[in-house]
Amino acid sequence: MSISLTGLLALTAGYLGLMLLIAGVVERGWLPARVVHHPLVYGLSLGVYVNAWGLFGSVALAAEIGYGYLAYFLGVAGAFLLAPVLLVPILRLTRTYQLASLADLFAFRFRSRWVGTLVTVITLLAVLPLLAQQVQVVGAIAYRLSGVAEPAWLALAFCVLAAVMALRLGARHAHLNADHDSLAVAVATGSLLKLGAMLTLGGIALYGVFTGPADLQQWLDGPGQPLQALAARLPPGQWRTLLLLFFAAAFLAPHMFHMAFARGPSRQALLQAGWQLPLLLLLIALPAPLILWAGQALGTASPKTGLAYLAFTLSDTPGVIALVFVAGLAAAAGTLVVTTLALAGMALNHLVLVAHPPARQGNLYGWLLGLRRLLIIAVILGGWVFYRLVGVHHDPTTLGLVAFIGIAQCLPGMLAVLYWPGANRKGMVSGLLVGSLLWLGGLWLPLIADLPPLVVVPPGLELLENEPAWYAVTLISLAANALTFIGVSLMTRTSDGERAAAEACSIDAVIRPKRLPLSARTAADFKQHLSAALGTDVAAREVDHALDDLGMSPQESRPYALRRLRGRVQANLSGLMGPSVARDIVDRFLPFQNGPQPATDDVHYVESLLEAYRSRLTGLARELDGLRRYHRRTLTQLPVGLCAFGDDGELLMWNEALARLSGIEGDSVIGARRESLPAPWAELLGRTFDHHDRFLYKQAVPLAAGTRYLTLHKADLDVADGERGGTVVLIEDHSDMKWLEDELVHAERLASIGRLAAGVAHEIGNPVTGISSLVQNLRYDTDDPLVLETADQIQQLTERISRIVGSLVSFAHGGRHGGQATGMAPCDVRELADEALHLIQLARSGEDIVYCNDCPAGLTVQGDAQRLVQVLVNLLGNARDASPPGATVVVEAGARDGGVYLAVVDTGGGIDPAIRDHLFEPFTTTKPPGEGTGLGLSLVYSIIRDHRGQVHVESPLPDLDHGTRIALWLPEPHQDGRDTDDPDSDR
Amino acid sequence: MYVYRIMLFLVFGGYLLSPALMSGWAVPGMAWYRPFLIWGGLIALSIWLEQKRKLDEH
Repeated sequence: MSISLTGLLALTAGYLGLMLLIAGVVERGWLPARVVHHPLVYGLSLGVYVNAWGLFGSVALAAEIGYGYLAYFLGVAGAFLLAPVLLVPILRLTRTYQLASLADLFAFRFRSRWVGTLVTVITLLAVLPLLAQQVQVVGAIAYRLSGVAEPAWLALAFCVLAAVMALRLGARHAHLNADHDSLAVAVATGSLLKLGAMLTLGGIALYGVFTGPADLQQWLDGPGQPLQALAARLPPGQWRTLLLLFFAAAFLAPHMFHMAFARGPSRQALLQAGWQLPLLLLLIALPAPLILWAGQALGTASPKTGLAYLAFTLSDTPGVIALVFVAGLAAAAGTLVVTTLALAGMALNHLVLVAHPPARQGNLYGWLLGLRRLLIIAVILGGWVFYRLVGVHHDPTTLGLVAFIGIAQCLPGMLAVLYWPGANRKGMVSGLLVGSLLWLGGLWLPLIADLPPLVVVPPGLELLENEPAWYAVTLISLAANALTFIGVSLMTRTSDGERAAAEACSIDAVIRPKRLPLSARTAADFKQHLSAALGTDVAAREVDHALDDLGMSPQESRPYALRRLRGRVQANLSGLMGPSVARDIVDRFLPFQNGPQPATDDVHYVESLLEAYRSRLTGLARELDGLRRYHRRTLTQLPVGLCAFGDDGELLMWNEALARLSGIEGDSVIGARRESLPAPWAELLGRTFDHHDRFLYKQAVPLAAGTRYLTLHKADLDVADGERGGTVVLIEDHSDMKWLEDELVHAERLASIGRLAAGVAHEIGNPVTGISSLVQNLRYDTDDPLVLETADQIQQLTERISRIVGSLVSFAHGGRHGGQATGMAPCDVRELADEALHLIQLARSGEDIVYCNDCPAGLTVQGDAQRLVQVLVNLLGNARDASPPGATVVVEAGARDGGVYLAVVDTGGGIDPAIRDHLFEPFTTTKPPGEGTGLGLSLVYSIIRDHRGQVHVESPLPDLDHGTRIALWLPEPHQDGRDTDDPDSDR
Repeated sequence: MYVYRIMLFLVFGGYLLSPALMSGWAVPGMAWYRPFLIWGGLIALSIWLEQKRKLDEH
């Protein structure tokens, strides 16, 4: 079956159009985000592993080594089945520190730009044969199908296609992972094409050529058996070595690392890919032997015709041929594009930017993007040149093996990143150099020079001399690499920076960042400091981006938050320029300050990490974490306010009770310095810290809910070896207790007044009785009407004194609530007012005050007339004293709310608001000393309360800024004799 | 986490013993799909462990 060149070009253009369409649809958001970010899309995108030779060469390998061809699939499947322990830790690092490539990861872990550069160079050398392999396979297929053009020029056309795709799918933005969505969907679509093509071919083989699985089995056991016997059995050692190489490729091959980690997928997606990718590989690998056996059964399988391309002979249907061709194109283009993007990023970060650090650019993003595009074109061109100069002389299997053995040289380093904190950069560089030199000398250079492989067999391993070169070189180079790495690491010193990075990378270690102060005090300082390196615009954008990532405010100034911000800025810059350059910029322009105190652990951050890692803890660690959570819950849910500070005064804990009391959420203040806490807490806690005692008792603190009385206890945390110090402060709200204490004092004061009043009443009562007796005698001794009238008035006044004294005694004996009105009878309100006015007018002062009785005639109230007159006299006396000369004091009354109101209104200066709340308390007066006892209104209140009435004070008067109106309200007695419910005055 | 040890054990055990599994290419009577069945079983086990992990984490 053949297809015309025009047809091939049309198919190629169609595939390119599909990829560009996908890019456009994803970028414009026409495809829902839940689809783009679905774990299945991620799982399918990892199918980029199956390259063109993996797709077609499997059939040829199946013919040569039987099931041995499965090593290519099973190695990667094994790595992904171990995703929870192998790949998730890598993902954690790449996501946290924005590490987009293997070189980024190694440079970060070993704190060395040289490690990143070395890994980049070796990876570049290793993948050139892989790129050439893809170009070779596509050229061969096109030539085989069309037969009208030279494979080399078809391969060049394919490189142009790959370059267009790479630039469109992966180089639209300066940030490496900004284009990743469209790339992932495009590669996932390619995986579906590969899967569709292989399942179609498998179906044709199984049900088109054979009649089903049983027929196939019968053929295998019968006529097909001699053909199968021709397949060589792969020796166990070589099989295991192949498995190891492809296992390593799962996370070391640049295109796999790029698709698996650079996008920063969720942990959940990666764990699901742990079975999705093995399943995808199973479905792609399964049809390979079926195609072979079908070809053998049909007699079309012949080494002369090329077993690798047997797939194109299985069906004459143009649609099937087109599908298989496009699948091959997708496999080769996917590998070429993603590998190129990954290599361009690595070369930019670890070759170009390391050699020429970014100067202060006007348009840094554009400069970086331009460089990446140039590198993409250079890498693809390099792949084509390698194919033209070297690849054409070798078979695809050899090219692939050389590539994967080179890639595997990073395996010892990767295992050390995850599992060996003791490894250091000297060991890493030494091991990588030794292993890579053995690989380069043994396989790569002979490939270039078209010479036989050069295998350096160490003494004692002579048995490897008779083994295939790839097998011997793999074993020797990896063993030398690992042993050198371990030996040099053990014999040399590991720097502090490497130890810190090793802790961050180690699979079981919790990152323990130190609490160091920064020279930048606010987020705005960050922009200013970074602008020296990045330019004003880029610095502002990067800081804003980091603030947005962390959900922080631009006004953020908490040291804890600024440390997180610094880390995020570094991580984001790492995604832009690689970890080495990013670290250099951040270390230089956002440095930590070395204070007098040693740096301590960032407890809050460690706790937040422990919360995130909870599901990963097992055994004793899980038990201890459960205990930690219990103790933490005890503190956070303690019904008493609690806050804790580190040695450097940074707030580490702010529990829920304190958040409720203060109205300040813990998340908004944790990590802040004590002195930068919101008012009044900074001052209050500062006073607690400075106080020589361990507690401050009942401090009046103005809060949103009013003044609260807080008692603060502090305790310094003793520092033992390796333990954290600091201060913990317990804050109790004693406001209710303070109120109760005040009430108690008030009650005691009233009781004292009562006792005093009883004594005074007793002392006054006796002379008054004498006066009354003398007045009685006077009435018998004279007939002078003027004297008799005076005697009557004296008699009335002495009776009033007696009643007041009686009230005092009643007040003293019954307390505030014990008095009961006696002598209750209907009283005419107007007459009561007249009597009171008459008495008040007897006084010498206030002659120039005009009194006015506006009470309606006939209005009656149930009460003790004498005591009510006393009330009115007291109120009128106060009104008189407060009124200016010539003013009018009015007594008014009326029926209201089922009772009678009686009010005294003056136009004096009004009542001072400061004493208004205490107006009815004994000894409360605004008069000068000696002129008022302060008992008048207290008695008014007491008497009205005895009448179950209410007192209402209005001062100043409405529409005036002065004057007072004291209104009394007295209830009508109920028909059944019950009074109203216990009222309360409007005090 | 302990369930991953099962997976570690099986994968490394399979790595060591896999040459024996691959030897049945030309053996008469051996079902051609046997390696794929074993592979599928391993995937099923991985799916089961993934579900179990999800339950553990919730």
